[in-house]
Amino acid sequence: MSSFRLDAGGLVNRSDALSFSFDGKSFTGFSGDTLASALLANDQMLVGRSFKYHRPRGVVTAGSAEPNALVTVGAGARAEPNARATMVELHSGLSAVSQNRFPSLKHDFGAVNGLLSPFLGAGFYYKTFMWPKPFWEKVYEPLIRRAAGLGKVTLAADPDRYEKSWAHCDLLVVGGGPAGLMAALAAARAGARVILADEGFRFGGSMLSETVTIGGLPAQDFVRQTIEELATLANVTLMPRTTVFGWYDDMVFGAVERVQKHVSQPSADLPMERLWRIVARRAILSSGAEERPLVFGGNDRPGVMTANAARTYLNRYGVAVGSRVAVFTNGGSGYRTASDLVARGIEVTAIVDARQTAQDTVPDGVRVIRNGSIISTKGRHRLSGIITARSGFEEVISCDALAMSGGWSPIVHLMCQRGAKPVWSDEAQGFMAPDVGAGFVAAGSAAGVERLSDCLRDGAAKGAASAAALGFAPYDVNTPDVEGEYDPSFAPLWYVPGARDKAFVDFQNDVAVSDLGLSQREGFSHIEHTKRYTTAGMATDQGKLGNVATIGIVAGMRGVSPAEIGTTTFRPFYTPVSFGALAGAERAEHLRPVRTSPLHGWAKKNGASFVESGLWYRSAWFVRAGETGWRESVDREVRAVREAVGICDVSTLGKIEIFGSGAAEFLNRIYSNSFLKLPVGKARYGLMLREDGMVSDDGTTSRLSDSHYVMTTTTAYAGEVLAHMEFAAQTFWPDLDVRFVSTSDQWAQMSIAGPKARVVLSRIVEDDISAQALPLLGARTVTLKGGLQARLFRISFSGELAFELAVPAGYGESVADALMDAGRDAGITAYGVEALNVLRIEKGFVTHSELDGRTTADDVGLGRMMAMQKPDFIGKRLSTRFGLTAADRLQLVGLKPVEIDKEFKAGAHLLKENATPSMANDQGFVSSVCHSPTLGHCIGLAMLKSGRERLGERIHVWDGLRGTDVVAEVCSPVFVDPDATRLHL
Amino acid sequence: MALNLVHRHVLDDHISGFETGKNPNHLSVARRPVIFSVLALQGRDGDVGAALSSVAGFSVRCSGPGEWLIVSDTIGPEAAAGALAAIDGATFADQSDGKVLMALYGPSARKILAKCVAVDLHRDVFAKGYSASMLCCQVASNVMRTMDDQFEIILPRSYAGFVFETMMEMGREYALTAGFASP
Amino acid sequence: MASLITCPHCGVRPKEEFSIRGAAGPVRPSPSARQEVWHAYAYVRDNPKGRYQEYWHHAGGCRRWLVVDRDNVTHAVFAVIDATEWHKTAGSRI
Repeated sequence: MSSFRLDAGGLVNRSDALSFSFDGKSFTGFSGDTLASALLANDQMLVGRSFKYHRPRGVVTAGSAEPNALVTVGAGARAEPNARATMVELHSGLSAVSQNRFPSLKHDFGAVNGLLSPFLGAGFYYKTFMWPKPFWEKVYEPLIRRAAGLGKVTLAADPDRYEKSWAHCDLLVVGGGPAGLMAALAAARAGARVILADEGFRFGGSMLSETVTIGGLPAQDFVRQTIEELATLANVTLMPRTTVFGWYDDMVFGAVERVQKHVSQPSADLPMERLWRIVARRAILSSGAEERPLVFGGNDRPGVMTANAARTYLNRYGVAVGSRVAVFTNGGSGYRTASDLVARGIEVTAIVDARQTAQDTVPDGVRVIRNGSIISTKGRHRLSGIITARSGFEEVISCDALAMSGGWSPIVHLMCQRGAKPVWSDEAQGFMAPDVGAGFVAAGSAAGVERLSDCLRDGAAKGAASAAALGFAPYDVNTPDVEGEYDPSFAPLWYVPGARDKAFVDFQNDVAVSDLGLSQREGFSHIEHTKRYTTAGMATDQGKLGNVATIGIVAGMRGVSPAEIGTTTFRPFYTPVSFGALAGAERAEHLRPVRTSPLHGWAKKNGASFVESGLWYRSAWFVRAGETGWRESVDREVRAVREAVGICDVSTLGKIEIFGSGAAEFLNRIYSNSFLKLPVGKARYGLMLREDGMVSDDGTTSRLSDSHYVMTTTTAYAGEVLAHMEFAAQTFWPDLDVRFVSTSDQWAQMSIAGPKARVVLSRIVEDDISAQALPLLGARTVTLKGGLQARLFRISFSGELAFELAVPAGYGESVADALMDAGRDAGITAYGVEALNVLRIEKGFVTHSELDGRTTADDVGLGRMMAMQKPDFIGKRLSTRFGLTAADRLQLVGLKPVEIDKEFKAGAHLLKENATPSMANDQGFVSSVCHSPTLGHCIGLAMLKSGRERLGERIHVWDGLRGTDVVAEVCSPVFVDPDATRLHL
Repeated sequence: MALNLVHRHVLDDHISGFETGKNPNHLSVARRPVIFSVLALQGRDGDVGAALSSVAGFSVRCSGPGEWLIVSDTIGPEAAAGALAAIDGATFADQSDGKVLMALYGPSARKILAKCVAVDLHRDVFAKGYSASMLCCQVASNVMRTMDDQFEIILPRSYAGFVFETMMEMGREYALTAGFASP
Repeated sequence: MASLITCPHCGVRPKEEFSIRGAAGPVRPSPSARQEVWHAYAYVRDNPKGRYQEYWHHAGGCRRWLVVDRDNVTHAVFAVIDATEWHKTAGSRI
């Protein structure tokens, strides 16, 4: 193994050696290296196998468009597949392995695919593995997936943290090259808040690879000086290692910052990556230009790379990409690369120029083959020679690397993500940034500017103009002079004829020119069809290198301009973004907010099992020692309420305080029943409808004073009810004097229910709470013993004598503890939402299982709550229409199994005797079911056609999902205490 | 039987003890602030807003048109209710137990909060004394800049554990510590 | 990833703070209006492509109902108005 590292030069720190491994082999690089530059320095040109044909592949670029050098970095749970070695910042201990090869990179069994390649053209899989049909999923696809592919995703949980943050600025500059740096500087000096983001770990872009002087300084020193100035400005935020990957509505940009992808020992206190949403008033795209590979036979041989990459490895990293380098070019870039190589003592064996004539400076002693082409390449794991052709004469030229340049394409991806298409320019022979308005403009080579000095000028001018447009005082920026720059202009060359080997347009997906031809012949000629048929541009690099050539070649095949072919659609993300970054901290139990009741601690210490209910954690049941299943606990809780006293946390119910002289009228319009005459000190059950006449929610509202009410809503609909009331107050009746605010979180609320409820409660309440002092539906403020003010409501959701006690949330746990103490001798029992549900089913009380958006008040037996004498209420008008009053509507009934030990489940459908299950025969469905410990058997609530007329009828409860069929008797939905005597105790 | 009731803060499970060894970046949770929602009746927005700002001891936070949160650490709840009752056109509800108030301060306060809220926190835009309702860690909250490097966040009690944990997580990078404010 | 709405009361806010209720055009009929009018109000909506006014509730902020006047193709926002104001000023109807 020989070293290709030069003794001096570049921006690597030769005194800071870093050891790393590739495919288990140890290597040494320097700080400032990328994985790619360090591998090249160690003569490791072969870095991967291609996707389909398993051809050996080497590094092609020095940047984010890299299609070949995809490796898996890290191990175990931190293994990251498909990392671009050209973007991976080298750090000590980095371990990388190559992908898509077995058993090793040099000896890959899959390479046999390459021999079959004449048969594996575009569409091969679709055509070949069509039959027999089930084989695709079971046999072919798994096989193909194993043979073709990239890195493997680890299934281990990601051990790292991720974050998201917002940022705001006047000007976002995307890309810190010549134009970007000058734009940022100009706008910042004018006083604008500037964010400068660059995907690399070092600002400077192409200037880091240049040998010119700028403002009298070597380019790399000029960059350092400029960055130093920017860093001192308080209004500038420098964001290195940050890829701006998307442009979204309203000038929001998505960016991902690789916070510590580049460190050996990640800090637990820092995120691995951070997702930024950057809100910019204006933005400048200074993302530079991509050098195009040339499309010729054998252009994928390891050692063939873009001229710009060769020059970057040379000048920025101090690495020679070969010892004898050939150049194939159609413009100035190839010549400049040759000059730089020669200047560093590296042999340039030939410059093959596709053009007839050229003005470019030829380095001394280098042979130029004008009007030449390359038709094939030699070498197995690394290039050993090229076969050139000129005027019918072939020649083998020996070399171990080839620097190719097919011209330049502005990188305009971001500006095309919101629907605008790039615009073809005949003059520049490339696709240019579209006009998307003054808010977002391209600058420098991203705008098609060619020379370095012009890029600096363009950036400064556009930065200054952006600041001026935002109202900042103009600031004159002196653009520094550039000495020694070259002319990067080129002649278009989409395809080099005479190829002896496959000529690839898309390296990563193994798409060759022959595939493009096939797709045209087979009718997939629209560029979007060509893309999908051949998969050109569909790999993880999204065709950054190859798409332009694909379009150019297809245009050539069809004899039209590339303008007529157009581009495929650009979408975020510019480069792949990890799911971790997109999720940020919102994963596992932090996916969405969790709400806990003020009685959560009380419930926990009383043995509660919790259930998620929306965002809430509610106590479902309370386990006691010796209980073996939840049913046992729930049955005990229900019996305690029916026979003694229970206490249940109902803090999660929505609570809305309503104020104003128009509050009574407002409630009267919001609810279907009457509220105008509700006396102070009284609660009333209320029903809300939707405007279409269906029930939307129910709850109680209590009048605390003349113009002050408190409403409760169901837990699930608390937010919606408040929004609905706000909508009604703000848009229907803005002149009503009514205001409301949620106080759901202010109160810990507990239901104390059962025949002994009053006895227990009176032990902690100062006031008289006798049936005379606080009758059914009484609502008042009381004082607890010791002085705490509380609200007490005599409302019941169990059919028992019951109270709801509301105390300030901070006292909730303590008051609940006091009630447990006060009720110990009475057998007070904590009960959860499961018991609550059983208690209400036994009483035939409805919840959202019945109020499912398809039921009217009458359907659920609450027809008396439709106060039709009121001039208006929400839902009134449409509640009377035909259909909502039809006789065969589903009505609420009770169900009990005829054979008392039989059970059925909610969701089952109702059928008449001997009727086959069908939509036509459907009689309704079961909405709620429980085991009733009070009755000792299964009971259910159901919605049944004309149900109230059918009490006593036998009906089949058919459950196709669970395969059961139980005969039940239709009965009243009120199973327990039908005369409601217990309520009035 | 006189009840001996204990008042618990929802973050008692998350924070133990008072502030000892706090770092420059710190999240200080008020143990029992007085917080009221105030609503102006029809057409009284201006009057009520003006009256509120003239009550000594009230820190007034804007929640929306004609709607405020007032905070006080000097006036007790009864006195605060009395002062509010005296304002013509105002109605109010005690939220002292329904809201949690946290002060985030320190040199990195803004950077930490930028991970929690979407609004621009630059001092020229979100100036000292400015307050507004917004989502903070996905939860509807009220945020006020009380000093150049200090923000106060008022959020619903039931969400406090989640928001607190998230905010501490976002502050790890800056060694954020937390504790109840010294009484 | 994001889009922004400028609330007339709170300023620039991300869309996550809002919930959308649909077309702001239909006006709640009088209680005595014909059933067809009510039917149209409850059920019949245009599904326009382009400029469109709809209710957005600033649930994560000031809790006001707003009318957002925007282009549902380009998401260009022309105006955001408090819904009460919008209903009061007939002139703002587009």
